[in-house]
Amino acid sequence: MLHISDLGYQYPHSSKPALDGIALTARRGQVLGLLGPNGAGKTTLISHLAGLLPIQRGQILIDGVPLAQVRAASPTRIAVAPQEYAFYPALSVRENLQCFAAASRLGGKVRQERIAQSLAFTQLERFANTRAARLSGGLKRRLNLAIALLPSPELVLFDEPTVGVDPQSRAFILDAVKTLAREGTAVIYTTHYMEEIEAIADHAIIMDHGKVLRDGTLTDLLGEGAARLRLVIKNMSPETVCAQLAALGATRIEGEYIVVTLNENISPATAIAAAESAGARIEQLDYGHYNLEHLFMALTQRSLRDE
Amino acid sequence: MQMQILIALIRKEFMVLLRDVHALTSLFLMPVIFIVIMSLALKDIYSPPVRGQSYALEVRDKGPLADEFVRRWVALRGAPQSMPAAPQEALRRGALRYIVIVEPTFSAVLSAPNTPSGVQVRLIADPALEISLFRATEAQLSALIGELRAEALQDRFTGISTKGGQAIHLLVSTERLSLGIHPTAVQQNVPAWLVFGMFFVVNAIANLLVQENDNGTLSRLLTLGVSPGVQLLSKGLPYLVVNAVQAALMLAVGIWLMPLLGGDGLSLAGIHWGSLILLLAALSIAAVGMALALASLIRTHAQASTIGPILNVLMAALGGVMVPRSIMPATMQTIAGYSPMNWGLEGLLAVLLRHATPVEILPQAACLAAFGAVMLMAAVVLFKRRTSL
Repeated sequence: MLHISDLGYQYPHSSKPALDGIALTARRGQVLGLLGPNGAGKTTLISHLAGLLPIQRGQILIDGVPLAQVRAASPTRIAVAPQEYAFYPALSVRENLQCFAAASRLGGKVRQERIAQSLAFTQLERFANTRAARLSGGLKRRLNLAIALLPSPELVLFDEPTVGVDPQSRAFILDAVKTLAREGTAVIYTTHYMEEIEAIADHAIIMDHGKVLRDGTLTDLLGEGAARLRLVIKNMSPETVCAQLAALGATRIEGEYIVVTLNENISPATAIAAAESAGARIEQLDYGHYNLEHLFMALTQRSLRDE
Repeated sequence: MQMQILIALIRKEFMVLLRDVHALTSLFLMPVIFIVIMSLALKDIYSPPVRGQSYALEVRDKGPLADEFVRRWVALRGAPQSMPAAPQEALRRGALRYIVIVEPTFSAVLSAPNTPSGVQVRLIADPALEISLFRATEAQLSALIGELRAEALQDRFTGISTKGGQAIHLLVSTERLSLGIHPTAVQQNVPAWLVFGMFFVVNAIANLLVQENDNGTLSRLLTLGVSPGVQLLSKGLPYLVVNAVQAALMLAVGIWLMPLLGGDGLSLAGIHWGSLILLLAALSIAAVGMALALASLIRTHAQASTIGPILNVLMAALGGVMVPRSIMPATMQTIAGYSPMNWGLEGLLAVLLRHATPVEILPQAACLAAFGAVMLMAAVVLFKRRTSL
C-alpha cells in the first residue's frame, strides 16, 4: 500500500539530515511498528505522510502513485491520529465529529453514518454530548482516534496514541488498532513502549538519527538474539569472565550482564561449563530470547536524547 | 465542497466564541465600558462650564467702576468665595480655580482719557485649570473691562450715561457649523472607542490561532486537505460579523444608554447610511486582516496577550483615539496620518459630524481596505510558514 524509498529531509539551518535514506513498506491488514528515540526522525516521517512537509529526496508511493498526487485527489485516504489532543475542547464530542466530518468532505447521510460508526468503534456514544474539555485522558485519546477514523482511511498513522492514559484505555486503544488492521487498514504505529509493538505489530522498524537501523518481522527481530547468551556472575570480575569466554564467541559487558554471541557450533552448555570451570558462580542466565527493548537499546547505544 | 467545509468551520468558530466568556467580555463589554466611562468623564470637554468655577475676588479700589465691575462679574460667574488667608496655596491645592485682583487705581485709570498704564486687574489661576477655561476667563475679563472703560469715557465726555449699554458681546456672533449636531463627548467618543474596540479582535484571533496550533487542530485540518486560505477565511469571516455586532452595540450604547446615564445622546439623524456601512466594512477588513497577520506571526499565548494589546494601544495613541489628532503637534499629526485607526476615526467623524457622502470618505475607506488586503496576503504567507514544520 505504502512504499517509501530513499527518503531524505534536512530542515533549514540544521547541520544534519532529519531523514537520511529511509525505506519502508506498509501493507493493508498489517501493523507496522515504528520505534525510535527522540530525534530519530519519526515525527518528520509522519509529517511527510501527513502532507505537512515537501519531499526533498526520495519517493513516497501509495499503490504506486506519488503521495502528492494521491493527497491532491483524495487527502483523506491517509489519516493521522496525532500525539496532541487535536480537537476543539469547547465543543462536545459529537460537535467535534461533525466539524471534522465536514472537513473530511463527508456529507449528508454518509456523514451521520460515519459519525455513528466512529462513536461506536471508540465506544464514545455515552459521551457524545459531553464537552471535549471535560473528558478524561483516555476518552480524549479515543476521541482523537474517532476523528481519525471518520473518513474511513486506508492508512492510519498513530503517533504515540497511548501517552498518559490508564491501562484500561491503553488496552482498548491497542485492541482498536489491531481490529482496524484486521479489517484491512494499513497501520503505522509509533510508540516508546516496546511491549505495545510486541503486542500488536506484524512488522517493526527501528530508526535512529534519520536512518532505518532494523526492518523486519517481529519474529526476525526477536530472533536476532538466538545465539546470544546473557550471564550474571557476581564472584568474578566481568572482564575476567569475558577473557575466559572469548574463544567461544564475541563478548561484551552490558551493565551487570556479560553478553556472549556464541560462535557457530558452540552450544550454550559448552559456554556455561567453560565459565564454571573458570570458577564463576552463575546467578542468572538467559539464552536465545531477545526482547525488543534489548535490541532497541543495543542499536540506539543507550545514550540519553534531549533533542 | 470547500464551501461546505468553510460553513462547518465558521459554525464551529461561532460555537467556540459563544462559549468563551473571556473573549466575549473583551470583544463586547470592554469597548462599551470605555465608551460609557470616557463619555461621562469627558462630558464637559466640548462645552466647558465657565460658570460655577470656584473663585475669589480681591477689590483694592473703592471707586464706582470697581463696584460696577464686581456686580457684572458676579452676574457672569456667580458669587465669589471669601478670599483665603493664603490665596496662592488655595490655588495650588485646587480649593479655588482662580482669583481676580482689582488694583486700587482701577476706577481712575479706566475713566482717564489718556492711554491706560499699569496692570489694573490680575487673573491668577489654579495650575490645573484647563487652558480653554483660562482663556475664556481672560477673554471675559478683557471684554468687561473694555465695556466699563467705554461707558466711563462716554459718560465723561458726553455726559450721557449708558450703563450696561456697551454690551460688546452683542456685536459678535459665534457659530460652530455642525449640521444641527453638537460635537458632544459622546459624538466624539463613540467613533473613537468604536475604532479601538473593533481592533480588539486582534487579541481574540491571535489567542485562537496559538491555541489551535498548540493542540494540533490546524495541522489536522491541513492533513485533511483543508487549505490555509479556507482556514484563514473560516477565522476571518466570523470576526467580520463580530465587528458588525460590536459597531451596532456601541452605536446603540451612544444613542440609548448614554442619555439614561446622564450623558449626551449620540445622534445619527441626517447621516449618510451608505457612508457609515462602507466605512465600517473597510474598517472591519483592516482590523480582521491585521488580526490574522499578527495571529499567524505570534507563536505563544504570552506573545498574544502582550503584543496584541500593546499594538492596539500604540495605534490608538497615534491614531487620535486617546488624544485628538487636532491637538497634536504637526509632526505627530503627520505620523497619525499613517495609522489605520486614524483613517477609521477620521472617516467615522466625517460620517457622524459632517454627514459625509460615500465619495467623501472614499480616501479613508480605500486606505483601510487596501491595508486589510495587504495584511490578508501577509497572513496567508505567514500561516503557511507557521503550519509547515
